[in-house]
Amino acid sequence: MSDYLLIQALNGLVIGVIYAVIAAGLTVIFSILKIVNFAHGEVYMMGGYFAYFAIALAGLPPLAAVLVAMATAFLLSVAVERTLLTPLYSPTTERKGDYGILITFGISIFLRNIALIIYGPYPLRPPSFWPGVLVIGGLTMTWDRVFAAGAGIAMLVGLLWFMNRTIWGEALNAVSQSRESAAIVGINPQRFYMLAFGLGGALAGGAGALVGPIYSLSPSMGLLPDTQAFAIVILGGMGSVSGSIIAGLLIGLSESMFVAVFPDPSRSLTYAQAFSLLVLMVVLLVRPTGLFGRVHTAME
Amino acid sequence: MRASQIAVFVVLGALVLAFPLLVNAYWLTVAILALFYAIVAASWALLAGYAGQFSFGHMAFVSLGAYTSGLLVMSFGVPIPLGMAAGVVLCAVVGAAIGYTCLRMRGPYLALFTVAFSEVLRIVIVSENEVTGGSGGLEVTPLFHTRSDAPYYYVGLVLLGVSLGLMVWLERSRWGLFFRAIRENEDAAAAAGVRVLRFRVLVFAITSSFAGLAGGFFGHYIGILTPDIGSVDQMGLVVAMAVIGGAESLYAATVGALLCEALVEALRSYEQWRLVIFGALLLLTIRFARNGLLALAYQAVRQRGLRGLVSRKAGS
Repeated sequence: MSDYLLIQALNGLVIGVIYAVIAAGLTVIFSILKIVNFAHGEVYMMGGYFAYFAIALAGLPPLAAVLVAMATAFLLSVAVERTLLTPLYSPTTERKGDYGILITFGISIFLRNIALIIYGPYPLRPPSFWPGVLVIGGLTMTWDRVFAAGAGIAMLVGLLWFMNRTIWGEALNAVSQSRESAAIVGINPQRFYMLAFGLGGALAGGAGALVGPIYSLSPSMGLLPDTQAFAIVILGGMGSVSGSIIAGLLIGLSESMFVAVFPDPSRSLTYAQAFSLLVLMVVLLVRPTGLFGRVHTAME
Repeated sequence: MRASQIAVFVVLGALVLAFPLLVNAYWLTVAILALFYAIVAASWALLAGYAGQFSFGHMAFVSLGAYTSGLLVMSFGVPIPLGMAAGVVLCAVVGAAIGYTCLRMRGPYLALFTVAFSEVLRIVIVSENEVTGGSGGLEVTPLFHTRSDAPYYYVGLVLLGVSLGLMVWLERSRWGLFFRAIRENEDAAAAAGVRVLRFRVLVFAITSSFAGLAGGFFGHYIGILTPDIGSVDQMGLVVAMAVIGGAESLYAATVGALLCEALVEALRSYEQWRLVIFGALLLLTIRFARNGLLALAYQAVRQRGLRGLVSRKAGS
């Protein structure tokens, strides 16, 4: 029994890393563009399929496939941002918040349905990144999960390095604090909106690529991680990347523990889906700024 | 001009009333579903377009109204109209509760909270399959036992007429003004003496009860309820209908829903492509014509005059 709980906890942490990657992307987009991206889960879904095709059609090795998925998701996001999100920056647009909600909601519907046509409704299972099982003592875990966790941690470390140690990361931070002041010191906000939306998309796409071999791919796979990512972003504090990472691990772990200890096994899986939603609702009610929220990144 | 306007209305009214005689059973079904979506889209327009409360949980209230009525009728033998009324009352109460809980939330926070509420309700319905029938669906007694669906059409028509009439009356009253003041700027509205708290709760309760009414009607027409009725995809469909028509006008949202449902069915031979076409249309509308396509068309007609439009077309 305790072995079972331990394995559940480890699996929860692996999924938590994936959640953290998705949520960190959502946070980057939120803190720069000041919108909640309802299409984030669909970019994650697209990333999963991009990696699948990179492996199945082009015969790329796993790591390269993940990188290709991230690059394609980046390009997709930039294209979406350039064509559909530019009114967000225009002074003539009324009620930009409403526009942001509606347009990203519309993008999510569009992407989900076009995926249904291109990829078909049946779940696809990409080949394993790394076949086999890791056994330590009485504990077993597939190498796919180990690989996903490792790659996810690498992405998060890379993101933190980029945000805190590079000039572009500092420019992003500046734009997130004040668009006007950033423009005064010579930062072109337009370019950084593009970069932020692309970067967020790349993280979502990378997470989708990592999840492929663990679960399977389907056009509606983005719905659930989307709401989970919202729960994480709000729990971690809107706009705080490190907050999102901590909250991601926390949610992954507690969700998996919830499944393990829920008394009725036939319902535990469906109610596990509701778990993060309830967390989201409670946090919104009790502490809307989250655990590590920064005041200046609150919604306008 | 006046006489010709009256003539147009008389002809239109006659067409609407005689509709079940003019079309086959398939298009009659489409028309009844269109009436259902019209009530939902119009009440969402009142909530989001007028009062600025972007709730993505509106279909959850449709689902709540439908399941309440269905379960009361099936388990306790309550008469159908009473069951539907109970659904409406429950939706008003839960709607008020949601409105009250969300008082501190604005914009995307509210959207997130309502999406979460809607999904939790759907998951509960799927999971508690002993009561609700789960994903397999809940069989519900139909409202009429006639061969033709025509009675449903007239009931739907009356429900839409009454709902729309009430909503338009509300929108033109002082309350409608308060709703729009809250949408434009809550703080300024409060400073001007609008009781923001009371009216945000009220608009949630009112629009949710219309959604519950539509849900009850839908359930007792379709005869089988599945949790999918409250899904995010269904919500997307309603949002698309209202926005394509024009979410800032009750009439535009209603006509948008009627036309969109007809369009969805007319494009049936394109199968899955129709939702993509629909999604693209939604994106284009939001991006380039935020007041909706109908408002755009109406403006064009009013500015140039119907005749001018026709002659321009003939000339080009």
